[in-house]
Amino acid sequence: MAQTLFRADENIDVALRAPTLGTYLRRWGSVTKDGIIELYKSKTAFIGAVMLLVLFVACIITPAIDRYSPVKQNYRALLQPPSAEHYFGTDRYGRDIWSRVLWGGRRLIVISLLAVGFGLVLGVPFGALSGYYGGWTDAIGMRLVDAWLAIPGLLLYLLIVTIAREWKFEGIYNDLTLIFALGIAYVPQVARLVRGSVLAEKEREYVEASRIIGESNLYTALRQILPNCMSPIIVHATVRLGLVLLIIAALSFLGLGSPPPTPDWGADLSLARDHMETRPLIAVFPGLAIAYAVLAFNLFGDGLRDILDPRLVDQ
Amino acid sequence: MLVYTINRLIQLIPVLLLVSIIVFSFVHFLPGDVIDVLAGEEEIEDPEVRAALEKEFGLDKPIYVQYLVWLGRVVQGNFGNSLVTRRPIALELFERIPATIYLALVSIGFAMVISIPLGTLASVKRNSLVDYTAQTTSLLGISIPEFWFAIMCILFFSLYLGWLPSSEYYSPTENLGKSLKHLVLPALAVGFRQAAYTTRLTRSSMLDEVHKEYVDTARSLGLPEWKVLYKYTLRNALIPTLTISGIQLYQLLGGTVVVETIFAWPGIGRAIFEAIVSRDFPLIQAGVLVLATFAVTINLLVDLMYRLLNPRVRLA
Repeated sequence: MAQTLFRADENIDVALRAPTLGTYLRRWGSVTKDGIIELYKSKTAFIGAVMLLVLFVACIITPAIDRYSPVKQNYRALLQPPSAEHYFGTDRYGRDIWSRVLWGGRRLIVISLLAVGFGLVLGVPFGALSGYYGGWTDAIGMRLVDAWLAIPGLLLYLLIVTIAREWKFEGIYNDLTLIFALGIAYVPQVARLVRGSVLAEKEREYVEASRIIGESNLYTALRQILPNCMSPIIVHATVRLGLVLLIIAALSFLGLGSPPPTPDWGADLSLARDHMETRPLIAVFPGLAIAYAVLAFNLFGDGLRDILDPRLVDQ
Repeated sequence: MLVYTINRLIQLIPVLLLVSIIVFSFVHFLPGDVIDVLAGEEEIEDPEVRAALEKEFGLDKPIYVQYLVWLGRVVQGNFGNSLVTRRPIALELFERIPATIYLALVSIGFAMVISIPLGTLASVKRNSLVDYTAQTTSLLGISIPEFWFAIMCILFFSLYLGWLPSSEYYSPTENLGKSLKHLVLPALAVGFRQAAYTTRLTRSSMLDEVHKEYVDTARSLGLPEWKVLYKYTLRNALIPTLTISGIQLYQLLGGTVVVETIFAWPGIGRAIFEAIVSRDFPLIQAGVLVLATFAVTINLLVDLMYRLLNPRVRLA
């Protein structure tokens, strides 16, 4: 049962013997195998995993299955209903919505993965060290986190995005700003979560053992304690991926996400608003795309929590 | 409890100082001279006017003095003038606050009224039709974009059925009936997501609680099942729900920007959004600071409420 990714005894074992590549491979092999078995057992996680798989595959093979360029305008085919030519119809500039949804998804998924990754890379060590060292380090670290969290998320993105707009960032820099803004806002949440788990974990015997055999504090905190605190972070990050998609969509809807004609679900929805009464179908597909992707992440996150949280399993 | 409250109030000070530093440095990250940013669109060519303005804003002094001067004014409620309307920003913002609080409170209230009974019912009748319906709806609720739901509501209730108005705000003190009628759709759009979230939370914390020992004890004492569930279990299960509702409230104060924009709701979130569009930087600065202060205060109140509700935390 993969309740926690690594059990305490394994850690002592690994700490006593110098880890070889084989140890790592064997460990990850068994974790993966357990994971797949658990996935089959949890219906929610399984549905979520399948939905995510479809999503990722669609993103990867986008160049092969798109029909037109997502930004090419065609004034002879404006606001067309769905047909064999245009699976999802066309928008007010005659752009193919099927292609726009695909390319938009590809871009949004990459952005949200990078944004959440960025938040984790900064937040996990921050929280782990804060919780492990305690005392003044912890007090200062947590006040920082409090101040950070005090600024409501959307406002923080608005501040950062405004600065980027004033500097007239374009193309890739615009996307990088979005990643930075969403990532940096995630750092305090991760830090707080990790700190909580580390505080609970650091009283356990294997931590003592690691210190007794003379491992450094940094090694003990990051390599011994942290792996045992991963489950809540994994669940949280999965759900966050969906939330990030919603936030980007909201920012784009407000016209602050990415400049046109970048394919973007939120911006496309915003455009479709003008044709709500006459052609409501235009708003349906980008909206469904967002809902599908977010639902996939939420389902998978829910399922993972059931699998990883031993308190809720098989009640 | 008193000591704890005082302690927390003292801890608020560094947090607010940090927030103010973040907000203060915001204008310094913008391109161009701070003087141009603060004075607005028109270029200040005349060097004398420029110097006079720099003196007024304290920009000729080192940065930490600038910060202290700025902080001193902010504490007195002096945020300067809006670049667009030329009115004092404090006035501009405080006019907008009631509309946002009104919307946020009603939405949270709506969400709690729906979600607590629904979440409880779903957990009591686990794996029944009610449970599956509640779970599916709430999963959808947290997965669809708020603004999409808002647009669909307008499309259905105002355009198609013509039951409810799709925009405008009336103060509840002036005309309560009209005010409520205009509130329904925005509150529904905001509250749906919150309700979905708290339903899930209530359900899972109820399920957490019913397996605890005190519940078994209560049952073995022969107490009626309804008393066990609603008097003991629910009370404990509601603690996380209430905490999250408090957090939602403070997030909503800044997070209703989208819904406020769609429904032309004159709240503070929309004021900040309009300021971004019209490049009214002092207003953005002040708006974020005011909202963050609100957020910190509400967070503290929620914490205190949490301790009042939960003797275990209080005594620990």
